[in-house]
Amino acid sequence: MNETKTLLALFQDVDPAAEAIDKLREMGLDDGQMNVISGIPVTERMLGRPTQWSNVPRLALGGAVGGFLLGLFLAVGTPSLYPIHVGGQPIIPIPPSVVVVFEMTMLGMLVSTFIGVFLDSRFPSYSPKEYVPEISDGRIAVFFECPADKEEKFTKAMKSLGAESVKPAEAQKL
Amino acid sequence: MTTAAKSESHIHEEHEDLREHLMLDPKPRGEMNAMVMEAMHTTSWKFKLTAAFLGLVVAVCLFGAWGYLILEGMGVAGVNRPSYWGIFLVNTVFWIGISHAGTFVSALLRVFKAEFRRPFTRAAELMTTFGLVQAGLSIFFHMGRVWLSYWLFPYPNERGLWPNFHSPLSWDFLAINTYLLASTMYLFLPLIPDLAMARDRSTGWRKTLYRILSLGFRGTEGEWAHLRTAMNIFAFAILPVMFSVHTIVSWDFAAATRPGWSSTIFGPYFVVGALHSGIAAVAMVLVVVRATMKNMKYFIRKEHFDALGKLMLIVSMGWAYFFFNDYMVQWYGGDKWTDALLHFHEAGPLGWMWMLMLVFNVAVPWLTLWSRKIRTTPGLLFAIGLLINVGMWFERYVIIPISLTINRMPFSWREYKPGVEIFLGIGTLAFFILLYMIASKVIPLVPVWEVQEGQMAHSLRKFGKARVPTVSEIE
Amino acid sequence: MSEDSKSKWGMVIDEDLCTGCQACVTACAMENNIPFVGEQDAAYGRGMHWIQVQRFWEGEALEVSTSFQPVMCQQCGSAPCEPVCPVYASVHSEAQQVNSQIYNRCVGTRYCANNCPYQMRVFNWRDYELPDPLNNQLNPSVTVRRRGIMEKCTFCIQRIISAEDRAKSEGRDVTDGEVVPACAQACPADAITFGRLDDPESRVSKLAKSGRGVQLLEELGTHPKVTYLKGGSR
Repeated sequence: MNETKTLLALFQDVDPAAEAIDKLREMGLDDGQMNVISGIPVTERMLGRPTQWSNVPRLALGGAVGGFLLGLFLAVGTPSLYPIHVGGQPIIPIPPSVVVVFEMTMLGMLVSTFIGVFLDSRFPSYSPKEYVPEISDGRIAVFFECPADKEEKFTKAMKSLGAESVKPAEAQKL
Repeated sequence: MTTAAKSESHIHEEHEDLREHLMLDPKPRGEMNAMVMEAMHTTSWKFKLTAAFLGLVVAVCLFGAWGYLILEGMGVAGVNRPSYWGIFLVNTVFWIGISHAGTFVSALLRVFKAEFRRPFTRAAELMTTFGLVQAGLSIFFHMGRVWLSYWLFPYPNERGLWPNFHSPLSWDFLAINTYLLASTMYLFLPLIPDLAMARDRSTGWRKTLYRILSLGFRGTEGEWAHLRTAMNIFAFAILPVMFSVHTIVSWDFAAATRPGWSSTIFGPYFVVGALHSGIAAVAMVLVVVRATMKNMKYFIRKEHFDALGKLMLIVSMGWAYFFFNDYMVQWYGGDKWTDALLHFHEAGPLGWMWMLMLVFNVAVPWLTLWSRKIRTTPGLLFAIGLLINVGMWFERYVIIPISLTINRMPFSWREYKPGVEIFLGIGTLAFFILLYMIASKVIPLVPVWEVQEGQMAHSLRKFGKARVPTVSEIE
Repeated sequence: MSEDSKSKWGMVIDEDLCTGCQACVTACAMENNIPFVGEQDAAYGRGMHWIQVQRFWEGEALEVSTSFQPVMCQQCGSAPCEPVCPVYASVHSEAQQVNSQIYNRCVGTRYCANNCPYQMRVFNWRDYELPDPLNNQLNPSVTVRRRGIMEKCTFCIQRIISAEDRAKSEGRDVTDGEVVPACAQACPADAITFGRLDDPESRVSKLAKSGRGVQLLEELGTHPKVTYLKGGSR
């Protein structure tokens, strides 16, 4: 049975990284076996990678609906349940209800967007992961699984395209 | 000089000019990281002394005086009949105004893709969070029975009472809390990658702190995608929240029956006023940060002060427009109470405050900020920003205690003389500065990843004979 | 939707009879346990009297006349003080058609006082205590209030409730003139009349409909329950 090894190649710039990914595909890896970690957001378009799917917008919408319902409960529900007469205004006043519903909708949307980032990225996560500190210095890291016996071939290919270093990727405490 | 030599020296000058811009003067990311970390780690004795002094002021003027106020009652403040609201509310409105600056820079400028925002969005966003803390404190100060303030929070209880949502104060509660939560979350999201960078470059307690706060961020494609999507949603969504918050605060006054208060233009008037004092405050903070923190002269440059100065001028014109709208219509209406009020504003014992308000808010910016030289001189911009903030504080003083003096029952016309509010106001100012100083040493003040992103997006393109800066949309 | 169609308790004050003696002020203070704030606070506009005799000078030198206007909470049918209280401490009593200030709920934001066009709400700026033996004069029917709480004239609601209770236990209705607030009771000129505005035969209804009746700040649409009789000159 073929063992696989995970290698991490560090690149200084977008162009060599994009070429490296093409090369890896040529050498038989598919996109699922590659991962890109970068110090600034490099869009998938630039590297020719499949677009990432994010649940955050849908969670935001769901949160907005939840907030809307909460706002309705506060503005319409509570005075209906506990009616108190004030100042010649109707028990459920429409303009103030608009204000309350708006604020709660926005709150719901924003809180759920925030929580969505946590859920989607599985934050917080403190278990050991593949990473090198040079990434936050602006490098782009491509790490990939390759068959163990082809390790040298892959390493040479990456280095020839300009990789600063190609190391076995070890999961380490961040 | 030959033509060739002339055009060569031209190009040389152009290069030098262009390199003045942060986006066209890139440094390796590692170097910028090191600069920001150094700025965070370095604390001089001057810093420590200032922080200690501010801590003392906060202990005495804020917490000490507040304890006194709670024990003795509102009587130690200056409020009376008819000025039931005084400097506490002036400070509340003032601090909410300051807090709008942060959102303006980090959200509005992001939405409009104004590249000059990049190095100082976090510095501005910090002002929002800390400004809202001071506004919240000022609200607590003014309450007669503050230990029961939790009754404004909607929760099921045995009294069968929910908050009264007819009241603008309930809308205030919801809006300000929404804004505080939203802007703190919006401060935190772009901070995560910088916390990861700090984690990679720290040891000891800092490393533990950043490790925990950076949540295990590495910069994978997924993490960036979720973060960027969230930041875009926040940038768009926090703008209506920002507009609604100060509008709702203005409705505390506009929804009331007092002459001079029930003006329909208060909503946008207050929002523009908030931007006026807020942007001036951002300029002030940036001048101080640039002068006192290491390496900040690389990140914050003339171009940023230039842009802020232009914004200050434009917003000042907006403020003048809304002020005149409000004033002209009241003056024209001829209602006898409003007439008495306007006369009291201009010619009463505190008429000098009304005059100075107009001088500082309108005359000073209009006479100075048209000049690029003045805009790009940090010391002058600081002074102009300070005068604008004083002018805006005067504006809120005119609107609140001075306007409350004149009402429809002349038997209840009585002036307001501040008491313990002055100490508490000084306390909130000291607290704001102290929180900011502490934050500047705990989190990286400059969002380095955003600066690098911007520098990558900028390039020089040949347009005919000229080389022009070009921005690519790499998001 | 306003409640001007609904009326119950109301008051008529005849300014032509009022001598400005302030007996009403004193009686109200004794009936309702109103604290003494001291000279300094009183001079600074922190007097806590629920009824205030407002004095107006008219005319030029040597031909000056005074008119007196006792003003208290007007118990508005459409009260501006009510919608603005965030904790429902200022609410409209459907049963008695007056404005109720509920001390226990008040958190002291003072928005209601700012919004009262008559400026007739007073605030407990400090804890004012009556030293021994003055505290013996406190009326046990009325609670005492602590610092941080707003208060105002209640139309002597304690007297209204006790009269209604007495009438109910005797199996009859409250008669006209049975409920007398402290201010009306003390007035030596009988300038203050109190009773049921919804009973067209009551004294107060008939006086309110007389030609001399005006309401304060009528143009604001607050529908006050107090009518002032003005017109005769002195």
